[in-house]
Amino acid sequence: MNYIFLICARKIFQHKPLILNSPEKADIPSELTILHPQSRTGFVRQYRTMLNNLQSYSFFTKQLVRISILKDFKRSYIGLLWLFILPILSVISWIMLNGAGIIDPGNTTIPYPAYVLLSTSIWGFFVGIYQSTSNVLRNRKNMITMACFPHEVLVLEKIWVHLIRFTIPFAINVVVLLLFGIHFTWAALLFPLTLLPLLILGVGIGLIISLFRIVAVDIAQLFDRGIGFLMFLTPIIYTDEVKIKWLSSIIAYNPLTYLIGFSRDVLTRGTFFEPTNYGICVLFTFVFFLVAVRIFLNGEPRVIERLISN
Amino acid sequence: MLSVRSLHKKFSRDIKYNLFYGMKDLVADAFGQAPNYMQLRKKEFWALRNINFDLSEGEILGIVGANGSGKTTLMRLVSRIYHLEVGQIYGKSDHKITAVFALGIGMRPLFTGRENLYIKGSMYGMTKEEIDAKMTFIEEFSELADQLDRPLGNYSSGMRARLAFAIALATEPDIFIIDEALAVGDSVFKTKCFDYLKEYVKRPGKAVLFVSNHIRKVLKVATRVLVMKKGQIIYDSTDVKAALNHYILHCLDHLDEDQQQFKLKRVQEYDM
Repeated sequence: MNYIFLICARKIFQHKPLILNSPEKADIPSELTILHPQSRTGFVRQYRTMLNNLQSYSFFTKQLVRISILKDFKRSYIGLLWLFILPILSVISWIMLNGAGIIDPGNTTIPYPAYVLLSTSIWGFFVGIYQSTSNVLRNRKNMITMACFPHEVLVLEKIWVHLIRFTIPFAINVVVLLLFGIHFTWAALLFPLTLLPLLILGVGIGLIISLFRIVAVDIAQLFDRGIGFLMFLTPIIYTDEVKIKWLSSIIAYNPLTYLIGFSRDVLTRGTFFEPTNYGICVLFTFVFFLVAVRIFLNGEPRVIERLISN
Repeated sequence: MLSVRSLHKKFSRDIKYNLFYGMKDLVADAFGQAPNYMQLRKKEFWALRNINFDLSEGEILGIVGANGSGKTTLMRLVSRIYHLEVGQIYGKSDHKITAVFALGIGMRPLFTGRENLYIKGSMYGMTKEEIDAKMTFIEEFSELADQLDRPLGNYSSGMRARLAFAIALATEPDIFIIDEALAVGDSVFKTKCFDYLKEYVKRPGKAVLFVSNHIRKVLKVATRVLVMKKGQIIYDSTDVKAALNHYILHCLDHLDEDQQQFKLKRVQEYDM
């Protein structure tokens, strides 16, 4: 198993010229160079090129983010205020649920509605970024097939938009948590940092699926469903002390249990949830992210011509 | 200033095969396997076959061909939208290539003309400062100065075309690719564009690739013409008129000679 993994890893990282018959440069004026480099660049160089691209197209990213945030509110009278009103409305429904008295599902040190509210919003953070990155190529297919620009810009745009869309409702949720009587400790300041592994895990999966969404819609669909189902295999709407045997063993091997549990506990209790397992998961996530970005950058030019735009 | 050598591109006729091959290539590529590109698989055809041409400074190179002859595919390869598999494109590494395939791309109807300028300009890789520096040029060229702060959705299609074309020119490309993008706009504006292009290529290090089916326009603007047919270049000449006649005749090569001559006269009457 390890051996197979090693072979796969070597294949992904090795440099290999992808061109078979390159014509001679005999009659080409000497000041001209090859415009489309066809051999695969190394890992570090590819990342450096990507960062350079992101930097030189930063104004484009800014414009795209601006459009994405503003476009929904351009025609409304109160405009961006909707960004605050909608989360407040949903929070009110949560408070009402709490008042109705829901059955206590396990030993939580914080009120159950607060637990679920927080867990689902952390979960939403992960799923949201997966959904937007996994659709990045398809949603912008017209722009991609009609203009030449580095497509990693579109991914960065999705990340920014996601962060903005998440922060506002989340700040309101924090106020609600205070109303539920949760006391925050200084460790809560680490919370934004603990979202990073969830973010890059979502982006990493999304980037790979975005390729499949063009050439194998079925696989992308399966993943969409699978990720939705994963919510029930992660302690989100119940605690990690469930009594069902098969479920608790799945939970124990589910990295999201630790990634989400750690974030939640840091914020609400100021304690660290399973630090060793969490550390392993974070490490895995970072490695996975780096590989996923490379797979995306290598694969994406090849699937663009399969995009069917109108 | 641009040399294209033995360029090939193949596409699939069938949508399911197209996607299946896409996935196959993707997975094979991830594991470092390169299938032989020169071998056509089932339901595949050559969209471009052995394309060779050079573009020199100061040229307006018209590219004509029947629908589906590979003109746009070739332009997408030159402008680096499509991945190049077989063949080579040589150019200066600091060349700026701006390609206009559809004028409306990246434009948002709910935003004002000026906001759209920033969106499109940045899409072409310009910074805010570069766009601001070009603002007077854009206002003058598009003749829309007093309407720039209206929402784009209220513009007529001609006005959108003016705006889009002005921002594309403002990028000051070394190689400017226009793919059927000058089909809209009123005659006065089109005339202005063509005059501008003719002056533009007189500057050092500039050239234009002009894809069009409007024979009359190509005749008036181009300094050289490539005729494409079924993914190949069948004629390359600086004698624009001869090239265009060749193109029309080749569109009609299923007819016998008398009919061809007759049709040629008809087309010339309408288009030249």
